Amino acid sequence: MTNISRRDVLHLLSQAALALAGFIGLTGLLRYLAFQSDPGPQTEFDLGPASNYLPGTRTMFPQVPALLIHDENGFRAISLVCTHLGCTVEQKENGFLCPCHGSRYDREGRVLQGPARQSLRSLNVEVTTEGNLRLSLK
Amino acid sequence: MHWKWCTTPLRLFLLDFTGYILRWDQGIQWALVVGTNLLKTIPFVGEKLHLLVVGGSNPGPGVLIRFYAWHVFLLTLGVLILGICHIFRVRRDGGIATPSSPTQTKTVRITRQELFARESLAMLIAGAGLIFLAVLFPAPLAPPIVQVSAALSEGRAPWFFLWVQQLLKAGNPFLFGVLIPVMVFLAFAAIPFLLPLPAPEEIGHWFPPGGRLAQVLILLLISSILILTFLATFR
Repeated sequence: MTNISRRDVLHLLSQAALALAGFIGLTGLLRYLAFQSDPGPQTEFDLGPASNYLPGTRTMFPQVPALLIHDENGFRAISLVCTHLGCTVEQKENGFLCPCHGSRYDREGRVLQGPARQSLRSLNVEVTTEGNLRLSLK
Repeated sequence: MHWKWCTTPLRLFLLDFTGYILRWDQGIQWALVVGTNLLKTIPFVGEKLHLLVVGGSNPGPGVLIRFYAWHVFLLTLGVLILGICHIFRVRRDGGIATPSSPTQTKTVRITRQELFARESLAMLIAGAGLIFLAVLFPAPLAPPIVQVSAALSEGRAPWFFLWVQQLLKAGNPFLFGVLIPVMVFLAFAAIPFLLPLPAPEEIGHWFPPGGRLAQVLILLLISSILILTFLATFR
């Protein structure tokens, strides 16, 4: 039997403990980095029968958030997410105002005042075969 | 070891932000949206970084757990480690900087026990003061977040982030929210390496003439933050 000193054993044990701690820590880190979230948020919204939205109306959908416009050209919708940094814009009498950094948009979502550079996104609205309105974010 | 001084403001800023998010009331909603969307504006790595921080495509309850972990564990661990390094260096390098012996008139030092007693007393008084203030002025919590995209008209940042908000009003979010702050930060981190260190006879004196340039730069930084805060408050 070979002679192993007490010092060597303690040295080995401490190294093993360190390696184990490092390994456990690394596993946690890898799990954190490899985390796959749940499927993304809802991108399709059923807004109910199209006949509920009379021509000339503008309807807010805070859960999207979007504004549905029904005018002589039919249905369209604009996203209410500010194109600057993503806050939800507020509807004002002559357009939209972002509460975060003061970007202003007109009633059609075009930029009136920065810092936003792009207009509010227009979203797809379809009338399904059952006569329902479907709004999609894609 | 003089690179470490600059990590203090960075850690304070990150602890500030993560701690602020932990309130999880409607007051922090836009700070969370803006802060995480700023990450997305970084070219190439932005989307990945956003996913790493948020843990999903949009901030939700998952982000709360992540920020909690960063706030109470990882960032705090960093603060502890750097704090220990700092105290170690202070002891190693012979204590707090004092004027060199010809200019130093006071030679009597207090004992270590006396120092410990005084510091403990200061800590107790400061702690009691904070508790007293916290009891007297309860934290202004808003109603809890329902949905992170819900419309809220109150968009004003808290006083300690007003300057960031004002900076972001200037335009391009990547330029004003990421690039300029990082460049300013790096410039300040480079001060001890680029500018001359104080001469031996200047050590231990407040604002020595040899350090004028660095002092003016720091003054400029502090006043720009104050001006931005002022602009955001009164406009």
